[in-house]
Amino acid sequence: MGENTLAIEIRGLTKAFRGHLGIGRTTVVKGLDLEVRRGEVFGLLGPNGAGKTTSIKMMLGLLRPDSGSVKLFGRSPRDPQARAMIGFLPENPYFYDYLTASEFLDFYGRLQGLAGANRRRRVNETLRRVGLAGHENVALRKFSKGMIQRVGLAQAIQHSPELVVLDEPMSGLDPVGRREVRDLILNLRDGGTTVCFSSHILQDAEMICDRVAILKQGTRIAAGSLNELIEPTVRWFEVSVRGVQADLLQAEVVSESADALLVRVTDAEHLARLIEAVKVHGGDVVSVWPRKDSLEDFFLRQVREVRDVS
Amino acid sequence: MSRGSTTMVLLVAVALALSAVSGTRLERLAGVRVESQELLYLPNGDYLKAASLGQAPFLADVIYLWAIQFYASYEREDRFRYVEHIFGSVIVTLDPHYIDAYWMGAMILSVEAHDIDGALRLLDRGMERNPDNWMLPWIAAWESYHSGRLEDAVHYFDVAANIPGAPDSVRRMKAGLLGKTGDTRKALELWLEIYNDDETDDRSRGIAERQVRRLKHRADIEDLSRIIADFVARTGRRPTSIEELVEAGDLYSLPLDFDGQPYLYDPLTGVANVADGSLFRD
Amino acid sequence: MSGGLESTRRLPRIDAAIRAIALNTFREAIRDRVLYLLLVFALILIVVSQLLSLLTVGDEEKIIADMGLSAISIFGVLTAVFIGVSLVFKEIERRTVYTLLANPVRRWQFLLGKFVGLMAVLLMNVVLMSIALSIVLVLRGQPPWDLVPALFLITIELAVVTSFALLFSTLTNPILAAVWTFASYVAGHLAWSLPLLRDKVTGTIGKWVCDAVYAVMPHLHRLDIKADAVHGLPLPDGYVWMAALYGVSYAAVILLLASVAFERKDFNR
Repeated sequence: MGENTLAIEIRGLTKAFRGHLGIGRTTVVKGLDLEVRRGEVFGLLGPNGAGKTTSIKMMLGLLRPDSGSVKLFGRSPRDPQARAMIGFLPENPYFYDYLTASEFLDFYGRLQGLAGANRRRRVNETLRRVGLAGHENVALRKFSKGMIQRVGLAQAIQHSPELVVLDEPMSGLDPVGRREVRDLILNLRDGGTTVCFSSHILQDAEMICDRVAILKQGTRIAAGSLNELIEPTVRWFEVSVRGVQADLLQAEVVSESADALLVRVTDAEHLARLIEAVKVHGGDVVSVWPRKDSLEDFFLRQVREVRDVS
Repeated sequence: MSRGSTTMVLLVAVALALSAVSGTRLERLAGVRVESQELLYLPNGDYLKAASLGQAPFLADVIYLWAIQFYASYEREDRFRYVEHIFGSVIVTLDPHYIDAYWMGAMILSVEAHDIDGALRLLDRGMERNPDNWMLPWIAAWESYHSGRLEDAVHYFDVAANIPGAPDSVRRMKAGLLGKTGDTRKALELWLEIYNDDETDDRSRGIAERQVRRLKHRADIEDLSRIIADFVARTGRRPTSIEELVEAGDLYSLPLDFDGQPYLYDPLTGVANVADGSLFRD
Repeated sequence: MSGGLESTRRLPRIDAAIRAIALNTFREAIRDRVLYLLLVFALILIVVSQLLSLLTVGDEEKIIADMGLSAISIFGVLTAVFIGVSLVFKEIERRTVYTLLANPVRRWQFLLGKFVGLMAVLLMNVVLMSIALSIVLVLRGQPPWDLVPALFLITIELAVVTSFALLFSTLTNPILAAVWTFASYVAGHLAWSLPLLRDKVTGTIGKWVCDAVYAVMPHLHRLDIKADAVHGLPLPDGYVWMAALYGVSYAAVILLLASVAFERKDFNR
């Protein structure tokens, strides 16, 4: 079990479910290959129904794959030793609402093998870390959705696992909440923890992932680091201009408001000419926003290709 | 996972073996139990026991309570037809040790329905299932005696006397002590001994009280009838009341029943009776 | 805080995990209106015991003891079934089982924890109701000690019923699981009729089938010594312990089957 062992290694993973009344079979995950390296933040991406949650459940031993293999640090997820190294937060978690936050974490701490004073200490530390200090003795049924999410995260990290798996951790959160989750994930990575999370919101992944895999309808249609997948070059510029009339500029107008125009130009050369034109006509360039290819653009392209091919 | 499944198989085998062995031993031990689980081949007892799903004794109680209420209401003419079935079959199939059911049923049969054979059959069944109980043969003995079945009485007295734990008075009542005359008084005397004995347990005392009450009324009425007959022979007319007999000196004092109530007398017929002779009073 | 030292990760001690889940189960079950049933039972007992003195001719204490034992038994079975069948189902439904099993807890420990938790609730019920019954009896001058063996075996019987409830709870939804569990209870109390049937059946195959079915069914009637207890009848030496051993080992078999079923289960909600 060397230091080079992959955190998660998936080969040829396949899972099908029987339909209603045993009629028909839907293959939810088809021959998935995946590698998550130690210490990275990995995003498992794709639209709803792509098989992300099913794959995660197989990673944790909650489902048996029909074929293929899953290994956590080289061990099967059915091995408790493997599960001792991970923390998990499911999507839309529900917890025993009659417990207080610290009772809840204490319960999980016992299951995680934390003992006595050490457990108490970790519970309190983790509550502080996720911003729930002062809510130790509040019953979970009084928690807001954001707070539930935080206590769920606390449960996933309090035992300092090597790998944290999160299923749609940012769903249903407001921008502040999402920011906090992103920060926590980066914080974990800085501490040496591997993080694997799934999301259908590609922008979130773009901001924090080191590597991603994109699933669609049970198959992996792309995987790699962001740099590998997306052109780092600027695709176009969006320029906000004031004081000039639209028809005077030889550029595509994206939108027009009372005092400003949003104009689009395709490269640096056209940008320079636009700025010149604005100066000539006595206007102001308010802002220039270089737009790169986004993950979403990449994904949509992939989907279109796949559709064309099929 | 293979090592896990071998452990699992091993554990299942051990648990199965354990339950099989203990189960068989349990069957053997259960055969020795005093309670006999043979069923009478009459539908109701069977079905009720099956339907009761392990709550049979409680169901026996419910039916017993109902039966008491039913028989205490002097309504229907044909109600005695089912006494033996209800008490002797249904209730005791559900709970063969329900002593109350045996003797109460027998009392109803004997006192109300005048069916001595039925009463004795019921008591026999009770004795069969409860060989340690001395009260049942004791009651059977007196029932036989009061109806003139002396041989049966002697037999039952023997049975009662031979049961360990029977009180002295029972044991003294072996064959040969019975005469034709004054026998109600004799029976009363012996039941009274049991009633007054400190050693008697509460339940037996309760039964004894019923017997004493009944026998005292009977004995008193017998005496009263005799005295009234003497009076008629002497004066040529019936007395107007029992008080008149006291004034005339035929009676020492006004006779009272077990509950301290005076006896009733009807001057027209010349018959004395007890104020409240209900079998079911508590 | 790097991620090394995998092989020295401490797993939870087996009893610690089971105890944690058992305690959690206990706390959850406690909130399940069970306590109100107890209150109702205690009140009924007190009222009835006074009414009975007006109704009966004969031994009132017998009726009270019978009624008490039957009520403890019936309420126990109802509690075991209605809480037991939803124990596993609720966790799956609410997906709390996901976070739970993502931890280094083995599935059989989860099941055993549920069992212990529910048995703790049932035991508490039996004890409280027994105390109420004892108080009523003692006030009437009847010591309740003879009832203890019957209460003991009632608890064993409840263990068997609970194990069935857990088994079916892992296999199907609560309604069907309740039906199946009740069916097992009924079968257990009708088992005594099989040897009788055997006598009436002709042919060795028929007899063999009767023997086989009888051997497999839970002999709940052997755990029922209410009549003996109320009448103070002596039981054969070692009967109570043998019956307890039988009940416990039978429940163990059912729980093991439940573990196997649960081990193989896919959670795809």
